[in-house]
Amino acid sequence: MQKLKILTAIATMVVASPALAQEITVWDVNVDDAAHATYYDHAKAAFEAAHPGATLNLLSQPDAEYYTLLGTALASKAGPDVIWANGGAQAKALVGGLIPLDDKLPDLIPKLVGKSAFTGPDGKLYFIPTTLQGHVVYYNKALYKAAGLDPEKPPTSWAELTKVCDAFKAQGKPACFMMANKEGYNAEFFLSEAANQSLTTQQQADWLAGKLHWSDPPIKAILQAWVDTAKNGWYQEGGNSQTMFMDEFALFEQGVGANVMGLLSNVAHWKQFETNMGVEKVGVYPMPSPTVAADQHEGAPGVPLDGGVGYGVNKDSANIDLAVDAVRILASPEVLSYLVNDTGSVPANTEVNTSGIDSPGLKQIMGWLATRAVPTTHANSSAAELDEWHHQSQLLFNGEATVDQAAAALDKVQAEAKPQ
Amino acid sequence: MTANSLHQTGQAARTRTRPGRSRRAEARVAVLFLLPAILLVLVFRIFPLFWGFGISLTSATSTDPGQFIGAGNYLRALDDPNFRSAMANAVVVLLSVPIFVTIPMLLAILIHQGVPGRTFFRSVYFFPAILSSVIIGSIFSVVLSFNGNLNALLSIAGISGVDWLGHSATALPVTLAIQCWSTFGMGVLIFLAGLSTVSKEMVEAARLDGAKMWQIWWHVIIPELRPIIEFSTVITTIGLLTSMFGLIYVLTGGGPGTATTVPEYLIWAAQGKLNRPAYAAAVSMVLFFMTSILAWLQIRILSRNANI
Amino acid sequence: MSGAGKRQRLTLRIAAIPMGLLALSCLYPIFFAVNNALKTRHDYMLDRFGLAMQPTLDNFVQAWTRAHLDEYFLNSVIATLGAVILLMVVSSMAGFALASLRFPYRRFLFAVILSSLMIPVQVVLVPFMRTMLALNLVNTHIGLILSYTAFFLPFSVYMMTAFYSGLPRELIEAARIDGASLLQVWWHVMLPLGTPALVTLAILNTLSCWNDILISLLVMQKHRTLMVGISALKGQYSDQIPLFTAGIVIAAAPIVVLYILFQRRIVSGIAVGAVKG
Repeated sequence: MQKLKILTAIATMVVASPALAQEITVWDVNVDDAAHATYYDHAKAAFEAAHPGATLNLLSQPDAEYYTLLGTALASKAGPDVIWANGGAQAKALVGGLIPLDDKLPDLIPKLVGKSAFTGPDGKLYFIPTTLQGHVVYYNKALYKAAGLDPEKPPTSWAELTKVCDAFKAQGKPACFMMANKEGYNAEFFLSEAANQSLTTQQQADWLAGKLHWSDPPIKAILQAWVDTAKNGWYQEGGNSQTMFMDEFALFEQGVGANVMGLLSNVAHWKQFETNMGVEKVGVYPMPSPTVAADQHEGAPGVPLDGGVGYGVNKDSANIDLAVDAVRILASPEVLSYLVNDTGSVPANTEVNTSGIDSPGLKQIMGWLATRAVPTTHANSSAAELDEWHHQSQLLFNGEATVDQAAAALDKVQAEAKPQ
Repeated sequence: MTANSLHQTGQAARTRTRPGRSRRAEARVAVLFLLPAILLVLVFRIFPLFWGFGISLTSATSTDPGQFIGAGNYLRALDDPNFRSAMANAVVVLLSVPIFVTIPMLLAILIHQGVPGRTFFRSVYFFPAILSSVIIGSIFSVVLSFNGNLNALLSIAGISGVDWLGHSATALPVTLAIQCWSTFGMGVLIFLAGLSTVSKEMVEAARLDGAKMWQIWWHVIIPELRPIIEFSTVITTIGLLTSMFGLIYVLTGGGPGTATTVPEYLIWAAQGKLNRPAYAAAVSMVLFFMTSILAWLQIRILSRNANI
Repeated sequence: MSGAGKRQRLTLRIAAIPMGLLALSCLYPIFFAVNNALKTRHDYMLDRFGLAMQPTLDNFVQAWTRAHLDEYFLNSVIATLGAVILLMVVSSMAGFALASLRFPYRRFLFAVILSSLMIPVQVVLVPFMRTMLALNLVNTHIGLILSYTAFFLPFSVYMMTAFYSGLPRELIEAARIDGASLLQVWWHVMLPLGTPALVTLAILNTLSCWNDILISLLVMQKHRTLMVGISALKGQYSDQIPLFTAGIVIAAAPIVVLYILFQRRIVSGIAVGAVKG
């Protein structure tokens, strides 16, 4: 009798425990960053208010080990319910372990931009983007003035840009552009920025599909521009060993270089530069392309733009519906507005209210995003291609490889990663 | 000498004590003494290794167990220029092993011989090893940058600047030098422990006989240290091939090009950002065999008479 | 004293100069870390080598509270202490057996342990994780202790074997003729004689366990360790270096103190070794 009681008690506990332990775990790398604190606190509060008894466990993971950890955990069926990822190659590599969200969040999805970075090969959306990633050039107006350039007229074509850099070169210092390619990031940004007008819409689509090759003329022209700009002294010395985050941007703020290829995400953007340098000293322009494709207009360069980071749901989650709702809350306009206000990120949800932010830089950027957004070429490359482009861009920068050699090496990697 | 004494122990054990029963008893005790170590290693290291070998024969990704593809990943490695340069870099790394062993040994002997300030040195040499490679990296990435402190110093001497970590020719040697600086303290510790087995009387007797310092080192101390030298060589080799990731990640990110991409870094990239865990497993297996053969060779060469 | 002795003292004095410079270079990172932990993010970016002109403890407070370092600290202490003690006992026993006893398959068993030293951690990530899951050891302190012990054991066994094979045989033989059992020989002779190596191992293993990130990340998502908490402070773009550095200073402080305390044990350990000869 006694035994039976105990057994019943245990059985009740076992049956009851899943209901008691309704916890949704989110893996992310920014949770412990002070600038992001309000956003995560509000997400947690909103989730727990909507689901009494359930908790949202937001865990910050170390950046260097994040994808190693995530891969191991997913392969061992021990991953979190909700997964954070960078858009592009990283997110696309994970789609096999996630559920498609198209049917789960039908109200939210039409309001989003930057979806292509999170779309699987089947055309379905596997992550909900929260913020966008894009690339523009920030410049130091005081240095433009000192070099005899008009600080209110940033370059709009490659020829004008070349003139700007010639002016700085004639002075000797500062450098025209900051360069930080230790991790290969600057080469990634350069690829997207230079491609924004030099590829036709069709060519951008071909690139995504792997039909446009690195050795094809439009891409090879970009590799050549990379080599030429380095040879013509556009960058400060030592760009191959320069760390991008945040050393390069700190040097830009200190006036070591007049222009920098910056971001639209949570750092190295208008907000950081306006805060640290003063609003009046910072200007922004979309980078012109070395060549202009037939279907583009000279003098109106685009802004490479795609989903920056987003959240997906693990298909092995024990609580898929709750996990989906956690994603919905993390990406909801109300909660996201805290992230936008605190970090200056550009939201992927068009309903987020950004009118409270008073920044001339952001106003300009938002205008371009509405009219001149183009695909982010590097986000549409495979992870293997980007890795190889990191290597080859450094060799090209040092003159240790020729454009033809680099293009051939990249073609080989592309053929393997995106077989036709 | 140590190797011989090892050999003699066994003989002594056999001749001096009653044979037969005692030998069986000794074997039984030995098994008991070894059992915990063997069990832990089998369950948590060897068993996963065989499993990992199995994965290296598949096309698995993090979200898909994949299919059996035989030696596919190994053949792919042979055709991968990054793998080939990682192997070439590994050879350069291996050439530096004698430096990584000799410097701590010399420093430890000097400390043991009573160099002035030895207590201070012993305490301080270990400090770089305690701190994260991120901190070491944030110091050196600025010191070594083109506009950094080292080039400023060299320009005083009229030497023009070099982008130390940005050029293929200098990046790996410079990274190795920083690795050496940040880990030599551990080597000093190991050698100091080994030096405690060196007889002070023998050193003193040699000194009274009028032996010069280098003669004492060469004929008395270093032969006595042989098991520790062998240990240190093997450990250093393995350490250089399997734990330089942290420093490379913060200093060069494997570049420029593939100049500092060692096998370990390649494995990290394949496992994480490229989402090719099966390929990472295959490269890991190659690295495993490489280090095993190296360790075996080193042990053979360094202790020709050893029982082990 | 002969001329040789004088020459030796002179040589040692000369050697002290480069050794002193090297020692100063080793002190610098500690200064660098403490100094930068006292700066704001912006001050660090402006000049990472300059003195913190307006020192702030804000980074320490943030690291301690926001990242739950108080809770993680305890987890690190439990895992490190447990693993280091286990490592010392297990490796001293195994080292004694391998170096001083005769038994069949000795070389083979040594090779098995040694070879596991060469296993790159990445090849076993998924199998290791699944083994831990199958044994129900994930998110348990004992799981992390066993993992650390297993990962750092080959190194420790190898070092103890090398150390014990450098010891004079006469001591063990003498003890055995006295009729002591092997267990007594291990406890009364080998453990005390092994002090210098065991102390060294304790220091190196403490450092390995304390600073580990990857194993702990896999095994302990619920009760995290200190270094995992600190590494997660940096965020994706690593612009939180002063905050991260404050975390590192918090983490390194006990290690530095322990190390300086243990230093004396190494000195006395050397004295124990002098019995020989």
